Amino acid sequence: MRALCWTGVNDVKVEKVPDPGLLNRQDAIVKVTASSVCGSDLHLLDGYVPAMAAGDVLGHEFIGEVVEVGPDVSRRRVGERVVVCSIIGCGRCRYCRQGTWSLCDNTNPNPAFLETAIGHAGAGIFGYSHAMGGFAGSHAEYVRVPYADHNAFPVPENVSDEDAVFASDAVPTGWMGADIANVGPGDVVAVWGCGGVGQMAMKAAYLMGAERVIAIDRFPERLSMAREKAGAEILDYEKTDVLDALKEMTGGRGPDVCIEAVGMESHGKGPQYAYDRAKQGLRLQTDRGLTLRQAIMACRKGGVVSVLGVYLGWVDKFPMGAVVNKSLTLRSGQQHGQRYIPRLLELMSQGRLEARHLLTHPMSLDDAPKGYDLFKNKKKGCVRAVFYPFNGHKSAAA
Amino acid sequence: MGAKVKLAVAAVAVGGVAAAVRRRRVAKTREWVVMTVLREPRELTGDARPDALARLAEHHEVRVTAAPGGRGSEIAVRPATGQARESLRAVKQLLETGEVLRVEGQTEGRRTAVGRAVLPAAKRLARRSA
Repeated sequence: MRALCWTGVNDVKVEKVPDPGLLNRQDAIVKVTASSVCGSDLHLLDGYVPAMAAGDVLGHEFIGEVVEVGPDVSRRRVGERVVVCSIIGCGRCRYCRQGTWSLCDNTNPNPAFLETAIGHAGAGIFGYSHAMGGFAGSHAEYVRVPYADHNAFPVPENVSDEDAVFASDAVPTGWMGADIANVGPGDVVAVWGCGGVGQMAMKAAYLMGAERVIAIDRFPERLSMAREKAGAEILDYEKTDVLDALKEMTGGRGPDVCIEAVGMESHGKGPQYAYDRAKQGLRLQTDRGLTLRQAIMACRKGGVVSVLGVYLGWVDKFPMGAVVNKSLTLRSGQQHGQRYIPRLLELMSQGRLEARHLLTHPMSLDDAPKGYDLFKNKKKGCVRAVFYPFNGHKSAAA
Repeated sequence: MGAKVKLAVAAVAVGGVAAAVRRRRVAKTREWVVMTVLREPRELTGDARPDALARLAEHHEVRVTAAPGGRGSEIAVRPATGQARESLRAVKQLLETGEVLRVEGQTEGRRTAVGRAVLPAAKRLARRSA
């Protein structure tokens, strides 16, 4: 079959690879109908995630059809249309049972990478380096899904592929950002980053009762999308001093909840950004913390900072003084998607939640390298490129 | 081999070396490998002791105690070798999920010669150390 492989820093290629087979009795094989790029892939492309090797298949946000199930799969059936959570849970360790699926004890077969780097290993993730288990990704015609009963969810008939594909990662991640921050009626929520996850966090905040949502980015097309599709007020950080603007907009209080949906490769302006770039470039820090610092500084006293952006190592100049002296609550995590996906599909089915507008560039799998170029460099208004391995005619990106 | 590919392989190698260094340090200071398994101690001891745990006990000293707050059991294995660590993880997976998750035999694209040489060693370290 064909699959998109990482071949080196900023280098991906579509290669012929062997078809996947069942490796465990609880596996399923899913024929991929659509597979999305994700902002977190850029950290792999850019070489910031160690433990990548040439030949690794990328992709973790996908839907498809079950074509084979192992003998111990009881809930999934061949022929079902499913969305698969990007993070793999076993469903039976203490963390999965508590609903904290991304902390699964049993789905990362290479735990020492993370145990050495951060103390403990989290769950495995499709197509996300050997440190996250070394699972083959979904930018392929077929993918093997471990513990299929717990990780693949049937998609209601009236939910389109274009909405459902994002129920794999962007929608539950965004939802979780608002959920773990306990967003409720009357809250003012600021969201850094208007990519797929940020926009879904905005929608989630409104659905949870937030009164105002403020979106922060610099790309006009993403800001317009956040305004039109998520109903957010917008701030362009290249034209506005974000901290001043947020105080003005909130009667001097600051947002009740600050959601950071940018991550370790954040962009900004001014000397702080230059400092972060230089230190990261010299490998003196692993992650750039510009947006994280800003979210902490902006947050109202006693507020919640919810971090969805991917950070992998160390952030310098972390404003711990603000956390302590403003009594802030810091929440974070990789998404516990399995906890949210059934509810999110239900909301999609009821027409109360849609994500398809994120899909700006449907493409064939063969065009995936071009798709990553458009996505990474924000060319042609690309918010998300989605690859259709069996539907070449969908390629509309070039 | 291109510079980018070399860099990728180097990243894997660095991870492996870091794990190796860590392992060596840990092996000197830590006596037991301990993991918490979501099973009651009575399910793991006496006549109920699962075969996987019995096999582990053939070559290691194994201690099972109740974890606090209904968190299951703490299984401790001595000596704290890399093999003990890998075996105990497998036992935990088996007891909690019914199988040991495999990634060998997964789909992969073309590996470079260096990748083919380094990756298995790095993975082995990533399973046995920390």
